[in-house]
Amino acid sequence: MTGIKSTITKLSLAVVAMYGFSYALVPIYDTFCEITGLNGKTNEIAYVANDIKEDNRFVTVKFISNVANSAPLYFEPSVSEMTVQVGKPYNTHYVMKNNSSKQLHTTASPSVTPGKHAEYFKKIECFCFNQQTINAGEVKDLGIQFIIDNELPNDSGDIVLSYTMFDISNNIKETNKL
Amino acid sequence: MSVNIDHLKEEHHQPSGLMRWITTTNHKDIGSLYLWFSLLMFFVGGLMALVIRAELFQPGLQFVVPGFFNQMTTMHALIMIFGAVMPAFVGLANWQLPMMIGAPDMALPRLNNWSFWILPFAFTMLLSTLFFESGGPAAGWTLYPPLSLQGGNSMPFVIFSIHLLGASSILGAINVIATILNMRAPGMTLMKMPIFVWTWLITAFLLIASMPVLAGAITMLLTDRFYGTSFFTAAGGGDPVLFQHIFWFFGHPEVYILILPAFGIVSTIIPAFSRKKLFGYDSMVYATASIALLSFIVWAHHMFTVGMPLAGEIFFMFTTMLIAVPTGVKVFNWVATMWKGSMTFETPMLFALAFIILFTIGGFSGLMLAITPADFQYHDTYFVVAHFHYVLVPGAVFAIIAAVYYWLPKWTGKMYNETLGKIHFWMTTIFVNITFFPMHFVGLAGMPRRIPDYAVQFTDFNMIASVGAFGFGLSQLLFVYILFLTLRQPVTAADKSWEGAEGLEWTLPSPAPYHSFDTPPKVD
Repeated sequence: MTGIKSTITKLSLAVVAMYGFSYALVPIYDTFCEITGLNGKTNEIAYVANDIKEDNRFVTVKFISNVANSAPLYFEPSVSEMTVQVGKPYNTHYVMKNNSSKQLHTTASPSVTPGKHAEYFKKIECFCFNQQTINAGEVKDLGIQFIIDNELPNDSGDIVLSYTMFDISNNIKETNKL
Repeated sequence: MSVNIDHLKEEHHQPSGLMRWITTTNHKDIGSLYLWFSLLMFFVGGLMALVIRAELFQPGLQFVVPGFFNQMTTMHALIMIFGAVMPAFVGLANWQLPMMIGAPDMALPRLNNWSFWILPFAFTMLLSTLFFESGGPAAGWTLYPPLSLQGGNSMPFVIFSIHLLGASSILGAINVIATILNMRAPGMTLMKMPIFVWTWLITAFLLIASMPVLAGAITMLLTDRFYGTSFFTAAGGGDPVLFQHIFWFFGHPEVYILILPAFGIVSTIIPAFSRKKLFGYDSMVYATASIALLSFIVWAHHMFTVGMPLAGEIFFMFTTMLIAVPTGVKVFNWVATMWKGSMTFETPMLFALAFIILFTIGGFSGLMLAITPADFQYHDTYFVVAHFHYVLVPGAVFAIIAAVYYWLPKWTGKMYNETLGKIHFWMTTIFVNITFFPMHFVGLAGMPRRIPDYAVQFTDFNMIASVGAFGFGLSQLLFVYILFLTLRQPVTAADKSWEGAEGLEWTLPSPAPYHSFDTPPKVD
């Protein structure tokens, strides 16, 4: 019977390990996306510009916006595209209006296309680092400051920055309840 | 079954009637419970399939609303996979493994009882969601977020029932491995084990490695919905595509869990009716093991269109195609086993032969789907539906039916009616092709899967498929009738019911005694 017991012990450990592995896949996937630039994930905390030098190259940055799940929001970029010099910081903003009759909490999720160039698009300041609270009928300017890294390859073409705005008021209420 | 009860009364003083089945720790009792339960679920899932086919008989909405249609496709898949095919294989393992390796019972009989009795509760919970005001799950059996996170109140019930099903499978797998590794008759080395035992050993390892990953994935869904985590919620920085990766990391090994025991059954039946030894036993074992190992590095071929780097698409395309090599080894070994054999065509053999041909068709459409650029055309069309039904119905289900016909005389001591068995075979095989073959055509022409209504140009082939589906469903009633007739007969079957049958189970009397081998047999 000792043989059976040791088989059971080993197999139970394997089950626990594989359950743990399913959670380990989350950071593995994030790291993998970071390396490959998959999903166009950009920096999630403010970038501190230090060793980026100005460059005489110019690229076009296009801005697009989405509102998730038909939330009662107007959300558009103030300018739809800018021609920017590589290595120089630029400012722009998005405009958001709350079309509903109650206060909303929102958060934005950014994505850069093409994904493999996402790592060269550095956000020095971004409204996407924080959540927003917007009163009924209020109009807000949501600013971003960004810089294109001079490591950007020469064949890059246009860069598209997209934001999806989510209404997370319900989630916040539920979390407060818990 | 009644014979088993007689044995029981003579040798034991255990509860009778219903309590016998609830408290049993006997591998044959539990095997029968699994098989009957699987048959019941096969009909429940089949009825849902008929709702789907009735709605798709013509374009437009005839019988059900789209929401209910989606519940039917979701539930049909969950029930057929977790309720019909998997329990049937576990039932066959319970009946056969101890008899095949010369053991008195499974290694962990009480655990065995528990792993079965989890199932009725899990399915009661799963099916009860259909009576909820918000209905059952409707996001597809793959439960992709964000859709599955937006569903009704059924979602936590579905997740808990899948947790239970997973627990049942893991316990069953631990039991199978513990039995095979520790309780073989003296002299039976690993490479002398019957091939069905080998395929189940490897399947059990696949279950141990993949089921906990599914449990993790659906737990993350649950916490995303109710506890504010953001594994898959984009609003909180999560990524819905991550779910697809985790799900298919489980999902691809899962499809081999559904087919490897079928390979074992066919590799047992083909030699018996060809009256030759299995050709290339060693290569069969290695092929099974390589299919199992490869299954862990091919998952993303289910999601080629999700937006992957080119290197990823190429990697998953080639690894997927690589699986055709060990599978091809198996198919050629089966053909070589029959070569110059003195073959007869009893019902189990007919089902096994149809398995080889039709499963290979399903394998080829799988190869077509593996080609990434082509998959962009086929993805989420009826071509995919045709593919996986060809490998699951004339694949897994035919193997299970073949196994039941093959071992029924051993289990009950009674032989089924051969003429009716053959009629059942021909009806099933003809209707299965009428049902699923036209789906290739509508799929290639662009009909999407999981829709209750479709463009009119797909009507003719859909009508044919629906007629086939009802024919297939009715043919299975004949199967139940054959089982009923068989069980009512007196005991007449010989100990070795088939002339060419090999293996320790045929050295036991028919019907097999309640406890298989009290003293282990010697194996040379």
